[in-house]
Amino acid sequence: MMELAARLPLRDTIAPAQQGELVVAVQRAFAEETPVYPIGGGTSLDFGLPAADEGIALQLSGLDRVIDYPARDMTITVEAGMTMTRLAETLAAEGQRLPVDVPDPDRATLGGVIATNTSGPRRYGQGTMRDYVIGISAVDGRGVLFKGGGRVVKNVAGYDFCKLLTGSLGTLGIISQVTLKVRPVPRASRLLATPVNGWNEGRQRLEALASGAARPVAIEWLIGPAWSDDPALVSAAEGTCGRLVVGLEGTVDEVDWMEQELNRHWDELGAAAWSTIVDDAAPALWRRLTDFPANPDAPLVVKANVAPSYTTSYLQRLQIIDPDCSVQAHAGSGIIVCRFSPTPPAQGYEQIFPLGLVPEATMGQGSVVVLGGRVTRELPPPAIWGKPTTAWKWMTRVKQQFDPKNLLNRGRFVYEH
Amino acid sequence: MIAQRFPELVRELQRVVGHDGVLAAQSELVVYECDGYVIDKNSPDVVVFPRTTEHVAQIVRLCNEHDVPFLPRGAGTSLAGGCLPVGGGVMIVLTRMKEILEIHLHDRYAVVQPGVVNIHLTQKLKGSGYHYAPDPSSQGACTIGGNFATNSGGPHTLKYGVTVNHVLGVEAVLADGSVVQFGGPAEDYPGLDLPGVLVGSEGTLAIATRLWVRLTRDPQGYRTLLAVFDSVDDATNAISEVIAAGIVPAALEMMDQGILVALEEAFHFGFPLDAEAILLIEVDGLEAGLDAQRDEIIELCQRSGAREVRRAETAAERQKLWKARKQAFGAVGRLSPSYCTQDGVVPRTKLPHMLRRIAEIGSRHDVRVVNVFHAGDGNLHPILLFDERDQAQVRRVLEASEEILDECIACGGSVTGEHGIGVEKLDFMPRLFAAEDLAAMDRLRIAFNPDGRLSPHKMLPTAGACSIEQSSPQRRAAL
Amino acid sequence: MHEITPLPTETHTAAEAGQNAAPGRANPGQGIDYELFLDCVHCGLCTSACPTYLELGNENDSPRGRIYLMRAVTDGRLELGDEVRRHLELCLDCRACETACPSGVQYGKLIEPFRVAMEQSAPGKAKTDDWFHRLVLFGTFPYPGRLRAALAPARLAQRLGLLRAAERIGLLKLLPARLQQLVAMLPPASKRQPRLPDFLPAMGSRRARVALFTGCVGDVMFRPTNWATARVLQQNGCDVLVPRAQQCCGAIHYHAGSSEPALGMADANVAAFNADDVDAVIVNVAGCGSMLKDYGHHWPGDGQPQRAGLADKVRDVSEFLDELGLVDPPGTIELVATYHDACHLAHAQKVREAPRRLLSKIPGLELRELGESEVCCGAAGTYNLTETEMAGRLAQRKMANIRATGAAAVVTANAGCLLQIAREARAQGLDLPVVHPIDLLDKSYRREAWNV
Repeated sequence: MMELAARLPLRDTIAPAQQGELVVAVQRAFAEETPVYPIGGGTSLDFGLPAADEGIALQLSGLDRVIDYPARDMTITVEAGMTMTRLAETLAAEGQRLPVDVPDPDRATLGGVIATNTSGPRRYGQGTMRDYVIGISAVDGRGVLFKGGGRVVKNVAGYDFCKLLTGSLGTLGIISQVTLKVRPVPRASRLLATPVNGWNEGRQRLEALASGAARPVAIEWLIGPAWSDDPALVSAAEGTCGRLVVGLEGTVDEVDWMEQELNRHWDELGAAAWSTIVDDAAPALWRRLTDFPANPDAPLVVKANVAPSYTTSYLQRLQIIDPDCSVQAHAGSGIIVCRFSPTPPAQGYEQIFPLGLVPEATMGQGSVVVLGGRVTRELPPPAIWGKPTTAWKWMTRVKQQFDPKNLLNRGRFVYEH
Repeated sequence: MIAQRFPELVRELQRVVGHDGVLAAQSELVVYECDGYVIDKNSPDVVVFPRTTEHVAQIVRLCNEHDVPFLPRGAGTSLAGGCLPVGGGVMIVLTRMKEILEIHLHDRYAVVQPGVVNIHLTQKLKGSGYHYAPDPSSQGACTIGGNFATNSGGPHTLKYGVTVNHVLGVEAVLADGSVVQFGGPAEDYPGLDLPGVLVGSEGTLAIATRLWVRLTRDPQGYRTLLAVFDSVDDATNAISEVIAAGIVPAALEMMDQGILVALEEAFHFGFPLDAEAILLIEVDGLEAGLDAQRDEIIELCQRSGAREVRRAETAAERQKLWKARKQAFGAVGRLSPSYCTQDGVVPRTKLPHMLRRIAEIGSRHDVRVVNVFHAGDGNLHPILLFDERDQAQVRRVLEASEEILDECIACGGSVTGEHGIGVEKLDFMPRLFAAEDLAAMDRLRIAFNPDGRLSPHKMLPTAGACSIEQSSPQRRAAL
Repeated sequence: MHEITPLPTETHTAAEAGQNAAPGRANPGQGIDYELFLDCVHCGLCTSACPTYLELGNENDSPRGRIYLMRAVTDGRLELGDEVRRHLELCLDCRACETACPSGVQYGKLIEPFRVAMEQSAPGKAKTDDWFHRLVLFGTFPYPGRLRAALAPARLAQRLGLLRAAERIGLLKLLPARLQQLVAMLPPASKRQPRLPDFLPAMGSRRARVALFTGCVGDVMFRPTNWATARVLQQNGCDVLVPRAQQCCGAIHYHAGSSEPALGMADANVAAFNADDVDAVIVNVAGCGSMLKDYGHHWPGDGQPQRAGLADKVRDVSEFLDELGLVDPPGTIELVATYHDACHLAHAQKVREAPRRLLSKIPGLELRELGESEVCCGAAGTYNLTETEMAGRLAQRKMANIRATGAAAVVTANAGCLLQIAREARAQGLDLPVVHPIDLLDKSYRREAWNV
């Protein structure tokens, strides 16, 4: 709690043990017009604009029951305060999983992951939270519990609150309960790595991966310490532009075939062979690839989203801005996470946004947001969420409907103020 | 008649889109009084065909100036009355906005106008190694804009998801006439997932004028199987077994004896007429894994009591099996002069129970019911057979339909898996959702459509809709 | 706000409905079996198969819409006004909707009699009651002799190169639009060929005895193809009879709503072709073939069984040869071609694979699939002479698809399509031969090189 108080202007913390208590707490806050900060595992408190107004924290980790797990239906209904690790263990007992990669899963809660729309390497092949949430309950800014979707995998009745709340940073409703569609754990999983020599080669290799016969579940391009500090990757052959890592999943036959196919393809292209990350090193590397954005020591961590074919250009620009930065690109999806080096840029952190990060992302038809880091609090609001678009006006209207007194995570999201 | 009440509006609309872009004579409006759902009808007062986003925006602004309701329409294949102009007004028909604007294979997306016919995009992509995955059975006619509005599914949703999983962004004209882009070619734009919210909003929040849709790699191969069962229970158990074994088929469809008889009569596919149910199961993906998956499915089916499992050995045989599935509804016309179908969903494991209940409800109401449906998703399409000239039968069919849907709700399911609420299922919304849920939906509608002029009386019973009494189920093709 | 009005249950018959229609005039839906309307469940799956809907996006110009209009008129809900009439006239009768329909709606059995009745019910407004129909379409086309005479000046001009010159300098624009279209459609003049003999014997062992339908327009404009057809049949072991007394199939009249003259022609053909005497009556023009196959149900009453008897024997030449088993054609034809599905072959007769299979047996010939192959080219019998604007749009659409294949020639099995596509190719300045599949087979049997 010490840590919480240091990061949010808190008057009080309430930890409801039942959804009903959550409702009562928000209703009281509504009556008193007190801002409310929903807290799951507290892993994303640096994400978004800093909270300015004093309010109460609603600590949700007490809401962690399994409500219903009809495993043969491949759906699960749980309370939103459940940690990702516990969810994963529950599912694993039935040979199932939620194939969304989340950093710090021992602390991160399902509700928080949905609210922040967290994802990782497997998003290329498996999608993101929006593809798995099929039912949702939340408490709006008036303290009214409402739900959308249901418990079946196919359902078009009513507006899709699952999509509305995914990525809403808890600003429209505090997520209290979730039904997920889950998937079988694949029988085999493998990671392969290869060096990249030069940006052009990197660009060509990405195109080859995107159109090749093998269908990786993850395509990662690592630059700087992201690979050179990694025990599983540092020993591989030399490469001037980092490492490509691909994740393969499926049946044993499928994964074997894809590995052979990738090597055959690379041989045909005259590229250095893929090296397979063996045994225990593979799960550990998956873990590090997943945890990458959560590194607490970096001064600044940003995430850019661009059209996938623009990934290489964006990586080049990042190298110019900070030659020592550590970068992980989910290259198949055009999602690039950059941890800046301890050396501050010559023009200062604030200026790298308008002078480099933002225009380059715009060129790639995307945008850039701040995920966290020490200097986050010093940055002006436009740097955190990027340049407002006309769409934001409509988001603000939605916000006004669901939280008329602007109590939920006030001031932290994209809305017009 | 708005054409009479507002001759000025008609003239202004003509100024926007030209004379050949406006229909205002009653004789030309009558075909727009219903879509694929024909129980309720109402003619629009004006039909207008925009060709550009700016046209749509101008039309919407004119409707607001004249305080006239308006709604979008694509190909009019909705099975729930999604295109029914309940209060009359201006119908904005998007079939002239039918350009495929951009295709980016490396970035896996295409940009299309809303009037593009679903299958035209996949035809355009033929040979590229990519396709557009959502494939409702009406894909030869329905538009991608309509798919967007209703979050359309199809037989392959089990593995590939529904429309919302394939929409990256949308340019839309909002109820006030402003043009806004939500999302776009990249993933994860900051802010709310409004493309995700607009998909499936049945035209009540915005009118899509341009869509960024995800393209999917073609699978390397297919294995298609037909499993024959002597009992419906065995067939539904086999479905659960396959899913529980960790196999995600590309499609898993079931047909019962009633539909088999009709299909056999119509097309002579060689189905065993004494079988109680057959499953059409398809897996796709890398060749390297397909034979093993196929063999495993065969074994699971046999263990569940399948009498025989046939394999489609050639592409032609595969096509033949799919033709049988996709023609099933057409063939029903041979069993009965009229039919109506429902679109309920239950958890897969409730299928055995649900099918028994459907049979029981049918026999109690003396209504013959046959089944052909997306079993892998638990998405039922019970087809109730009747003769519309017999009023007593009609009444019984309505009662039986209602009981079936109530049972779906009781099983923890939904009243619509892919057809939408439209006007048809408005009355079920309060049974499926609490008043607070509906109020929240209403608030979302108000955020986008505060005056309620855009698609009034749709989807939400709270949207001012009069309760619509269904008096006569018509026969209907369902998909 | 309107109340939603529930749809009245249709318990009435067309005859009852007819009584509600405008007084003084017969309801055009009156003679139609009302059950045929009820087959349509209004699902809309036909819409995008319809060329006019593809072009206009107006539901009134779609099959579902037209059925709805016809039914509304039949029910007496709607007057048969100018707009309704216009939407029904614009139908190409290509029957692509029947292919798309999952419920088996027999659209042709609705639109054709309805249009016939529509023409008859309002003489003053009849589309066929103008100089073009009276003089050119009905007066000349079905009569090879008159047609040949009428074409003589144009043929002469063509031979002298005057037509192309006139086209270039825009002189033809002085002609009425529909005559312009007709002149533009003239295929390039070829060497005049003699009329076919009454009988051509099988070559090799005899496998079948067939009669050949030579058509009216076809015999004048396509006599070389008729010769080719006869030769290919001979090559495949068929005795070929060519009955002298045969007449136009009647399609031009029937589809334009003039049923009586068509019936006369049908009965003349029943007399001319002794159906019992042959294994098949062979047709090489899809439009005529589909009309002949429909003889059995167009006119109930006197002579119906005889007409049905003839209809049962009618085969398209590709369909027949494919069933018979084609004798391998020996000659190589080095050519990249694409095949356009004639509506009256693909949709009306459901013959799609047979011509492709036959062509695939010609050594050297590469057949490339044509995008939207089953969308009408706009010819649609005489549609391109009466609905010039829509026909032109569809021709341009077809040509864009043809160009996309990169093919050097187009193959299609209907006279109208051949003329229409060739005209559009000339209009676009393309040197693109358009041939009948039988022309290619004939060349291969005769080991002739590909040159046009």
